[in-house]
Amino acid sequence: MKRFANLLKKEIKELLTKQLVISLAFTVILFNFIGQVSKKEVRKAIGIQTISVLDEDGSAGSKDLLKNLASARFKILDQSGKTKDQAIETAKAGDSKLLLVIPKGFGDSLAELKPSPIETYSFMRSFSLIGARGQVVVQIVITALNEALSNNFLREKLPDMDPASLKKPIKSKDFVVVQDKMAEGSANDVAGMISQQSLLIPIVLFMIVMYSSQMVISAIAMEKQDKTLETLLTVPIKRTSIITAKMLAAGLIGLISAGVYMFAFKGMFGGIGEEAAKAGAQAGGGAALMQKLGLTFSTTGYIVLGLSIFLAILVALAMAMILGVLAEDFRSAQYMIMPLMFMVMIPYFISIFADINAVSLPVKIFILAIPFSHPFLVSQNLYLGNYGMIAAGLVYMLIVFIILVIAAARIFSTDKILTMKLRFGKKKTATV
Amino acid sequence: MPNVLTARGLRKSYGAQVAVAGIDFDVRAGEVFALIGPNGAGKTTTLRIIATLLTSSGGEITFLDHDLCKEPDFVREKISYLPEEAGAYKNMKGLDYLHFMAAFYARNPEEEKEFVDRAVAITELGDRLKTKVGTYSKGMTRKLLLARALMTKPVLVILDEPTSGLDVLNALEVREIVRRYVREGTSVLLSSHNMLEIEFLSDRVALIDKGRILDSGTPQELKDKHSAKNLEEVFRSSVR
Repeated sequence: MKRFANLLKKEIKELLTKQLVISLAFTVILFNFIGQVSKKEVRKAIGIQTISVLDEDGSAGSKDLLKNLASARFKILDQSGKTKDQAIETAKAGDSKLLLVIPKGFGDSLAELKPSPIETYSFMRSFSLIGARGQVVVQIVITALNEALSNNFLREKLPDMDPASLKKPIKSKDFVVVQDKMAEGSANDVAGMISQQSLLIPIVLFMIVMYSSQMVISAIAMEKQDKTLETLLTVPIKRTSIITAKMLAAGLIGLISAGVYMFAFKGMFGGIGEEAAKAGAQAGGGAALMQKLGLTFSTTGYIVLGLSIFLAILVALAMAMILGVLAEDFRSAQYMIMPLMFMVMIPYFISIFADINAVSLPVKIFILAIPFSHPFLVSQNLYLGNYGMIAAGLVYMLIVFIILVIAAARIFSTDKILTMKLRFGKKKTATV
Repeated sequence: MPNVLTARGLRKSYGAQVAVAGIDFDVRAGEVFALIGPNGAGKTTTLRIIATLLTSSGGEITFLDHDLCKEPDFVREKISYLPEEAGAYKNMKGLDYLHFMAAFYARNPEEEKEFVDRAVAITELGDRLKTKVGTYSKGMTRKLLLARALMTKPVLVILDEPTSGLDVLNALEVREIVRRYVREGTSVLLSSHNMLEIEFLSDRVALIDKGRILDSGTPQELKDKHSAKNLEEVFRSSVR
């Protein structure tokens, strides 16, 4: 145990370099900075916005429109008394994102329920989506006004009729059925919510697998490159302890690195999301709908998901151990990560674009044969109650891990650790 | 002197390529036994098998009455191996490297300190041991590695081309260190194609070529037998 601890300490120290700590700290600071800047911009965009208004009409209808805009968090700069060109120039020179021109006769047209044109001039000082939000909000206000005006007209002319029924005689009431649970809502919204909830799983898995595997492969490749492996293999420590120490250290540092990156991501996107949510961008009823359909994770669900990710990491580490043996030096170690990367990316992309359960049998077998597919499927299978599938996935990953560890231990206990090489374009030779 | 190591009919092949074709030799307690021969003769393969890095394809190896192939863990406790192109962890300080290696052999902190103190004395690197190995010259690294190999006073030290790539003074120093430890009871199995070095260091020599031992004995016995002035001439005569 003392020897194992000695080796583990060395492996952790080798991986936890100043460069890694600086790069992690830099990422956290950078992402946090981007998050703060974006947050400020979102806040600005969804906060009180300045628009210029040239009201050439001055009727009750136009005043009503301006009152509605003011209540939609707009700061209105009155350009009355100016010509249209002067108003455009003034607005362009100032902070206004938009100039709204209400022409003469607007109120009269409204009263007669004739089309009432208004003009908007958007000043695009940047091409970001947030920058164009001013005009979107103005359009929403106008749509709401149109709705109110047409409703008033219909009530006036047909007092016994409901304007909403007149405009939309067919009203669909949507229900979603999942397993034995049913709730009123849209299937589109449910799919959207699930994909939003599951978005983090592949990112976490991808990052941890990539980090840890790269570290294991590099650790072995560096031992080879620095000619320290032969000495290490002759010291009195079990070969399995060497494998375990390398895997454990890489897993630990990989986990910490991925955790730090996730924290940094949260810092970046969290700020933007919070502000957007405050502005009411998120649908309020979504969570209740998911709750009603039983599409929420219980504690057991989280444990199963965690176990699945943990097994996937173990599989990746064992695979990386073998790939590391094939690498000759640090440079070739960079290429060795490619097969693992593809194995994680294939199920990730397929899970985004297709329903794995609905693909053809050969494709399904191919996907399920990739051990990393299973963590992607866990959340979906938990929601749908496919517990057999989840258990099979966990058992499969465990079996793959055991086979890979046995293979790695065998490689480390035999000549293969020194003779097994993957050379590109060179013939294999052995030192005699 | 009793044998520390006995190899009988030792063979090693990589597929159809035969690296060692059934060799016999003994290493006695407190002696330097050398394998000499050209590149590709089978010296490194033999040393790697004895160091438990490679498995033999045939034959028997006994180390202190234990089967080397069946009990590699026992052997690793008692031997020390210095490969020809060995390196040390570049990001470690010299002293930390010695502590790291000593911890595998020491039974307690006192023994670990004893090993490290011995290694520090062998290296004669002083304060440079407090700097990273990556900044060392080839000679300094080799002395650090030799100190690592000798600090535990192993029963058998296996040295593959111990002075390879070193300048004259560093090579001389390394040879003197090895001789000093042999006087204290350590056995050495070494390989080299530097015949002068072998003549200076070895008690007994085996000439190896194409995986076979051509002749063996003390340097003087071999020179007398082949009527040669030095081991280079002995080797030329044996190959013919």
